[in-house]
Amino acid sequence: MAWLQTEVLIIGGGVLGAAVARELSRYRVEAALLEREPDLGWGSTKANMCIVCQGADALEFRPEYKRSRLVWESIPMMEPLCRELGVPFKRIGELTLIRNNEERAKYQKLKTRAEKVGFTGLRFVGRDELFAMEPHVSREAVGALYNPDIAVVDPVRLTIALAESARRNGVEVHLETEVLGIERSGEEFLVETNRGEVRCRFIVNAAGVYVDRVARFLNADEFVLYPVKGFIGILDKDLGHLVSHEIHMRPEAPGEMNIVVPSVYGNLFFGVVLRLGRKGDNSTTKEMADTALRNLRKVLPGVSEGDVIHTFAGFMMFRNWELGWHECVVEASRKVPRFVNVSIGYPGVSAAPATAKEVLRLLEKEGLRLQEDPSFEPRLEAPPSFVDLPPEEQQSLIERDPRYGHVVCRCETVTEGEIVEAIRRGANTLDGVKFRTRAGMGRCQGGYCTPRVIKILARELGIPETEVTKKGKGSELLPLRSKELLG
Amino acid sequence: MRLQGVDVAVIGAGPAGMAAAIRAKEAGAQRVLLVERQEELGGLLHQCIHNGFGLLYFGEDLTGPEYAKRFIDRVYDLGVETLLETTVLEISPERGIRVINKGGLQSFRPKAVVLAMGCRERTRDQLGIPGGRPAGIFTAGTAQRLVNVEGLLPGRRVVILGSGDVGMIMARRLTLEGARVEAVVEILPYVGGLIRNEVQCLHDFDIPLLLEHTVTEVHGERHLEGVTVAKVDPHRRPIPGTEIQIECDTLLLSVGLIPENELSRRAGVELDPLTGGPTVDQWRETTVPGVFAGGNVLHVHDLVDNCSWEAELAAEGAVRFAKGERTEGREICLRPGRNVRYVVPQRIRGEGPVTLFLRVREMEEGMRVRVGDLWQKRFRVVKPSEQIKVELSPKDLRRLPDGVAEIRVECEVAG
Ligand SMILES: Cc1cc2nc3c(=O)[nH]c(=O)nc-3n(C[C@H](O)[C@H](O)[C@H](O)COP(=O)(O)OP(=O)(O)OC[C@H]3O[C@@H](n4cnc5c(N)ncnc54)[C@H](O)[C@@H]3O)c2cc1C
Ligand SMILES: Cc1cc2nc3c(=O)[nH]c(=O)nc-3n(C[C@H](O)[C@H](O)[C@H](O)COP(=O)(O)OP(=O)(O)OC[C@H]3O[C@@H](n4cnc5c(N)ncnc54)[C@H](O)[C@@H]3O)c2cc1C
Repeated sequence: MAWLQTEVLIIGGGVLGAAVARELSRYRVEAALLEREPDLGWGSTKANMCIVCQGADALEFRPEYKRSRLVWESIPMMEPLCRELGVPFKRIGELTLIRNNEERAKYQKLKTRAEKVGFTGLRFVGRDELFAMEPHVSREAVGALYNPDIAVVDPVRLTIALAESARRNGVEVHLETEVLGIERSGEEFLVETNRGEVRCRFIVNAAGVYVDRVARFLNADEFVLYPVKGFIGILDKDLGHLVSHEIHMRPEAPGEMNIVVPSVYGNLFFGVVLRLGRKGDNSTTKEMADTALRNLRKVLPGVSEGDVIHTFAGFMMFRNWELGWHECVVEASRKVPRFVNVSIGYPGVSAAPATAKEVLRLLEKEGLRLQEDPSFEPRLEAPPSFVDLPPEEQQSLIERDPRYGHVVCRCETVTEGEIVEAIRRGANTLDGVKFRTRAGMGRCQGGYCTPRVIKILARELGIPETEVTKKGKGSELLPLRSKELLG
Repeated sequence: MRLQGVDVAVIGAGPAGMAAAIRAKEAGAQRVLLVERQEELGGLLHQCIHNGFGLLYFGEDLTGPEYAKRFIDRVYDLGVETLLETTVLEISPERGIRVINKGGLQSFRPKAVVLAMGCRERTRDQLGIPGGRPAGIFTAGTAQRLVNVEGLLPGRRVVILGSGDVGMIMARRLTLEGARVEAVVEILPYVGGLIRNEVQCLHDFDIPLLLEHTVTEVHGERHLEGVTVAKVDPHRRPIPGTEIQIECDTLLLSVGLIPENELSRRAGVELDPLTGGPTVDQWRETTVPGVFAGGNVLHVHDLVDNCSWEAELAAEGAVRFAKGERTEGREICLRPGRNVRYVVPQRIRGEGPVTLFLRVREMEEGMRVRVGDLWQKRFRVVKPSEQIKVELSPKDLRRLPDGVAEIRVECEVAG
């Protein structure tokens, strides 16, 4: 007997899989999402600059590509979506620095092109205005191209909220469930997972970096994707004041982007150093770190190595790396009916809302019947974020549940109440708590809160502390009890 | 608890904060309040179950908890008011303090404040060690808490990067727990902590010490599987070709402590980039009037005893301030000179006595440390890991000629 039987199966709980699940939950259709990790959004979606294209910044995307269309169509959808789901979204604007005439000419061209496509709002700012807006950026700049629309989100929270909303509207979400193989049997797919067999009629393959591997189970990989590793660094919150816009500088070498961007939480992200890499190897290298820092210093000369509180790398899938430009894969397989592949590469977060709608159109074409569900509830109540609340609300929260009066993460001011709530909503690992609440993301990187979060996890999950993991099986944090090794 | 009308509020109840609260009470403050975010008084001392505490302060060799116990008893005997499980969220430039606990949020404005928030540990990212993000990497202090307070062990085969005191103490601790410490790896040509810890924690247990080496990469995606260690050149850069692989499931980092000054910064307190702590005068008063600081929040000490002593100075200053006494007189700056990394206090105002701490930059032999023309002493050897404490009497200070605005503190070759 099948472990799970459903109409539509979504493979992958990144931002794209979750967006598709949420979109499907508007309709009366049986659907399930499978994610192999213990929580949502741990693939490319968590290794991210958090930028959402919100206007003419999408100008770098060439009009003739589907990828551009999906980014553009998403622009008006993103902010309302975040509001509906209670996900932080912040419009910050972008300044592309200009250092010489050659750069000015290049950006003039881009501006003209954007205006032809219908974008407005772009303008050049001179030296004085630039330094009034951003007093700390390099004095090498003589001006900038200003785009007021660009925004930032928290991609992992967006993914979690999308999946949560989908679940509340009827989509099954299964974590720690990995697809190991797929076969066809008549009108059905038989999907092998670590939990048992899944039977379904439609498949949405949103497996991120492994989208090609999953497609290969059915020889539906009619595309070649190159895994491109991207390196990102994060600066101490105390330097958050250094810039308030996304700052972009033309990179020195191909395979680099030179961006500094304030996150929705007020610390600065910098990167991205891009290198072809081996999938699954998310390790950073000294070379990448040095390059990123060197680039950063060109924008913000005052920053040093000691200001970096965290670094990480993640993958995006590019269709043609050599050109430095790529098209996405959002298409129904030509060989396998009722099988849709979804991979954006960059910028998948920005493109998620329209991509989800596109996937539904493709599914309909493949024969899925979509009938609106009048009971669909678009709104989701976000878990409380204590620091962001006004004092009166903080006070009433503590009165309702005193655990909100216990600060567990000192750097980001995260309370026990928030951690318990995150666990109630599905976090079951240290990283899960971290991505959902920010506990451990600050300058001490969990030095203070790690022992405390481990205790809370053990207590709430009803497991011994020795079984608490960082990110799922095989990553046990404290596998042994004191004296255990002494026999 | 009624928080209005507090004379001296002490933030943090480690060895510094407890000593400050006690001294404030002894010096005549009516209401002294000690605020601590943890469940009990004592700060880091509870996880320091080894001995070596109190040799200076009590003339006895105590464990951390024993040292703490003496202060805790005194805190309660003297009627210091305590607020446990209470985190200070903010201190305003006007000394307004906002606290949070399970009872809710509260604000109050004491007459004077002593900062005693201690320090935090440097992390892997601040060193920029590349590699994956596996489980099994901890700072040594966090591991110390996990092992000694929670009774949990991170693994069986351990590499320790950095030979700070906490790292060396954990090397011994984990060995006693039955784990194998594969190596303590130190980038400098000498250990970072106290000699007594090098001998008692490493040599006595035959733990390999790799000087002039560093960890250049960590391996493993889900759990740590090993580290790459390389020899470094005199500029502390890894030498290509010298890499060795060490299999291990645990990496502890003991690579430096950073004074915890997030609250101070928001209060508008000026920080010294050399110490990471506030700039202060001899009473440990910061640039914000009525806000004092002592212990590791001010600068990282090697010995708890000095934390307590220094915090007592801060408490005395705080009580004087609470009583409305102000220090008059011109200000003289103390400036680090040759081979001196930092000096605390950074300025002197009015009369002595002055207790001064300094640290050198580099190890040197046959040296003389001098504080202007006021004080000097010969040292067979000076080391960054060993803080130098100098007591200047009021008489010493009176020898200062009029009009001097600056005193250089220097470490020079003894002739
Ligand atoms: C360094 C970097 C910076 C970026 N910055 C931005 C940015 O600023 N703005 C922006 O819009 N985009 C950005 N992107 C791109 C964006 O992150 C991706 O396009 C997007 O996250 C892709 O989402 P996804 O859902 O396709 O993939 P993923 O997030 O990788 O999700 C796929 C999921 O499938 C799961 N999975 C895989 N195989 C299986 C299986 N067999 N069974 C079950 N589950 C499986 C994975 O565990 C994973 O969770 C960036 C990417 C990188 C790498
Ligand atoms: C991990 C570690 C191990 C050490 N081991 C040794 C050793 O073996 N021997 C030795 O001689 N020295 C040791 N030291 C050094 C010595 O312990 C410290 O110098 C000493 O504990 C510092 O005392 P303190 O009072 O300044 O700080 P702490 O002992 O750290 O006390 C600070 C207190 O302030 C509280 N606090 C901080 N912020 C807030 C806030 N916002 N609100 C409320 N409360 C707050 C903290 O919870 C803590 O209890 C160690 C240091 C560290 C970091």
